[in-house]
Amino acid sequence: MSVLPYVVAAWLFGVGLYGIATSRNFIHLVGCLGVCQSATYVLLLGLGYRWGSIAPIFYDHPPGTPAVDPVMQALVLTDIVVGATLTALLLVLTVQAYKRGGSLDPEKLRPMRAGGNKGPDQGSRPVSDGGRQTP
Amino acid sequence: MTALLPLPVAIPLVVCAVLLATAHLLPGRVPDILALLAAVAVAILCAVIAVQAADRPLVYWFGGWEPHDGVYLGIGFSVDAASGWIASFIGLLYALTFVFAWGFFDRTHGHFHILMLLFLAAMVGFCFTRDMFNLFVWFEVMSVAAFALTAYHLAESSLAGAINFTVVNSLAGFLMLGGIGLIYAQTGTLDFDGIATAVAQGGRNPVVAGAFCLVAAALMIKGAIVPFQFWLADAHAVAPSPVSVIFSGSMVSLGLFGLAKVSAVVFGGSDQVQGALPVLLIGLGSATALLGGWMALLQRHLKRMLAFSTISHAGIMLTGLGALSIGGTGGMLVYVVGHGLVKGALFMIAGILLATQASIDEIALRGLGRGIWPAGIAMALAGLLLCGLPIGTLDQGTRLVQGALSQEGHGMALAATAIGAALTGAAVLRAAGRIFLGLGPDPGDEAGAPSADEREKANRPLWLMLAPCCALLAVDLALPAGPIAHALPRAVSAFMHRPEGGMLAEGPGWLPWFSVAAALAGAGYGLFRKRLPAFVVRPVRATQSAPTRALEILHSGLIGDYAAWLAVGVAVIAAVLAMA
Amino acid sequence: MSPRIRVALLALSGLILLPCAASVIAGLPAFGSTIARYGARINAITPEARHVANMVSAINFDLRGLDTLGEEFMLLAAITGTVVLLRGRRGEGNSERAMRRPGRAVIPRSEATVLACRIAGPLTGLFGLYVVVHATVTPGGGFQGGVILASGTLLIYLGEGYSGWRDAIHSRVLDALEGGGALLFALCGLVPMLTGAAFMQNILPLGTFRDLFSGGLMLVENLGVALAVTGGFTQLFLEFMEETREAEEPDEPGEESA
Repeated sequence: MSVLPYVVAAWLFGVGLYGIATSRNFIHLVGCLGVCQSATYVLLLGLGYRWGSIAPIFYDHPPGTPAVDPVMQALVLTDIVVGATLTALLLVLTVQAYKRGGSLDPEKLRPMRAGGNKGPDQGSRPVSDGGRQTP
Repeated sequence: MTALLPLPVAIPLVVCAVLLATAHLLPGRVPDILALLAAVAVAILCAVIAVQAADRPLVYWFGGWEPHDGVYLGIGFSVDAASGWIASFIGLLYALTFVFAWGFFDRTHGHFHILMLLFLAAMVGFCFTRDMFNLFVWFEVMSVAAFALTAYHLAESSLAGAINFTVVNSLAGFLMLGGIGLIYAQTGTLDFDGIATAVAQGGRNPVVAGAFCLVAAALMIKGAIVPFQFWLADAHAVAPSPVSVIFSGSMVSLGLFGLAKVSAVVFGGSDQVQGALPVLLIGLGSATALLGGWMALLQRHLKRMLAFSTISHAGIMLTGLGALSIGGTGGMLVYVVGHGLVKGALFMIAGILLATQASIDEIALRGLGRGIWPAGIAMALAGLLLCGLPIGTLDQGTRLVQGALSQEGHGMALAATAIGAALTGAAVLRAAGRIFLGLGPDPGDEAGAPSADEREKANRPLWLMLAPCCALLAVDLALPAGPIAHALPRAVSAFMHRPEGGMLAEGPGWLPWFSVAAALAGAGYGLFRKRLPAFVVRPVRATQSAPTRALEILHSGLIGDYAAWLAVGVAVIAAVLAMA
Repeated sequence: MSPRIRVALLALSGLILLPCAASVIAGLPAFGSTIARYGARINAITPEARHVANMVSAINFDLRGLDTLGEEFMLLAAITGTVVLLRGRRGEGNSERAMRRPGRAVIPRSEATVLACRIAGPLTGLFGLYVVVHATVTPGGGFQGGVILASGTLLIYLGEGYSGWRDAIHSRVLDALEGGGALLFALCGLVPMLTGAAFMQNILPLGTFRDLFSGGLMLVENLGVALAVTGGFTQLFLEFMEETREAEEPDEPGEESA
């Protein structure tokens, strides 16, 4: 079972991506993104682990006791902050999108669609209609 | 002199901490002034550092943790001349953007400036660092600042664009972190040189290839390379124009800059990676150049058009990297600067139109630009430079990239760079003709393209917005080609950690003229379609419409689609690596 | 693209990636067998070099302090972005009026809730401070402690109601905390440079191993992080809390409402 953590990490990323690809709700989507990110936690902590080691804090154990890799733990701590910031920002965007669009469905809220909100269009309409009829 | 190295990162950070702490006390224009000063200071400091680094790269160890017994203990900055000049260019771009946005964000208590300065500090850190995880940290700071800036307008389309941008780029961050974890487990260090040594000794190793696959995918997502390019058009089209200047001018190309550094320095010793790179970069780069150019030609929303043009130019930069030569990478670095200057100027013109004419739609704006004709001249000049008019820095970069491609025998990529540039130039020139000369009364396929109503605050005089735009173009034209060509081989060999060697080749002299001619023809076709004989128009229209519809369907704006394409892209990179 | 095509694309790329991932996993060192040279070296030298017991803090605040500086400012960017995007501070003028959903009864707070919050609030604050100051000795630090302190402020909302929470929490103070903390951290990098040392070099006396006062400059940096995180997260709560209230006037989209 010495590969289980890595397999779990790959699996988590895969299901998270599947969730994002099929999501019909932005809040669900933010959760899926969190699942993808947990894959990185599992991978990093798994890579830094060593059997029979203590946490890298030499308070109860004297320095020199075998400890797990502290670098990976520090990286994961940074990663957690990244996760917190991303979640906060995405939820803000979701809140605002819901206020404007009235929906949390990615299929309904889309960036700039063809034939959607065209804006002031006086310039093109009369001329292009006239142009089509002349020949 | 190495003591200067942390300052270009630290100064903007200190300024934005001060701005935040005193947000409510500062009177009106102080954030503008402080931000401008900080950006100018960064530009000057980076230029000084770049000059100092001309002979050999400067190295700085944070916290005084110098490597000991071959173990890299702390984080280092390592600045070669090329990285220094790129950072200096970024500082200049920010300074001019702050001038352009003078007073635009005056009701945000300096929050806009805080985000922009963080963005700047992160970019400089990204250029300077020699530590994989530190690279990731700056990558994420860039992303987070960018996400917030994108959605500033809070319109439905800008929110959707920002969400797509955030999700795709967050996934890029996770991929990168996964890759960093793998390479760290394999080599036991995070320092570029330390990893490079271990990779070179290790021989063919699936973990190294896997790590490269993940890191490269992340940087290509940032660099908007096919099939990761979808987020860019959504995000750049909706961001406020000063932000788009930074996005297109520097953020996208920095992704590719990072890719250049990582693939040449960190993974330079892996034969598997180096064997896969030409196929991967040339193939994806050519596809990106063509797709971006074609899509640009089909747009009517100016910022969206420019966004697709950025995709196309990112593809051209990637082909330069794919030549894997000093000339190709050097050309790409020059191209980054030239493209940033010209594209920045174009986004500023888009901002001018938004502010003065209250629209960004090419067809709605037809003829409305006559009153601000100086902007029209600038736009036409920028369009010509974009498609390859043989003067200025962008042209120098183009020639070097094309020279490296023809030297390595990549004929298809050479054609793709010329055609991609021509297509984007055609799009910009057509828009310039329509807006400022009132030409082209009958739109073609672009009439069906997505567009949105948008306006930006018209609180700035025209000259204030036009001055930074013209300054960017002037810098592009005025940067001396001779000294650049002279210093380039040495700078690039230091950048790539590779021995100097060989002359820099230039591409065939007629190729830029071909691009210009093709762009003019394309723009002319778009504007005068009705006056052309039917036997010209009909076949063009017939061949245009089907692929056009297909491409528009692909760029659906659905985040689910983008996630699927992201998986496809990673799979493509992995497959190429596995076969190398 | 229809969802079915999308899933098919995903499955296809999954099929390609599966053998690649398998070969990468097979090539990795077996789980739990060894740790990297870098980490082992840090475990070996840092207790003596910096007199700290917590290796993770030593990495975050000393060896790789630049990463934490970047991380700190990333948080600052996210919170500034949140304030910008939620068009913050709408509620400064009318902090009395919490959101009322029409048709839903307003149930008064029970005294038990108030009492529980008044007891738990100070305890949470104390615990947060404890976690903050013991960064170099035990698993703790400015980030974790700052988040605990910030969550403690939510107990004010729970116990004293919306107006009590708004009376206690002012976004200007939070801005100052956040910016001041980040500034303190950045200055911890710059001030050593004035003495000729490197950026963020630990020039303060290192203190005693396993003592509260150990690690020198790390303690100051840790304090900066704690301030910034407390201010930042409270600001975040405040902004999201404002979202639950009805706006006085509808938000105009676009820059006019900025």
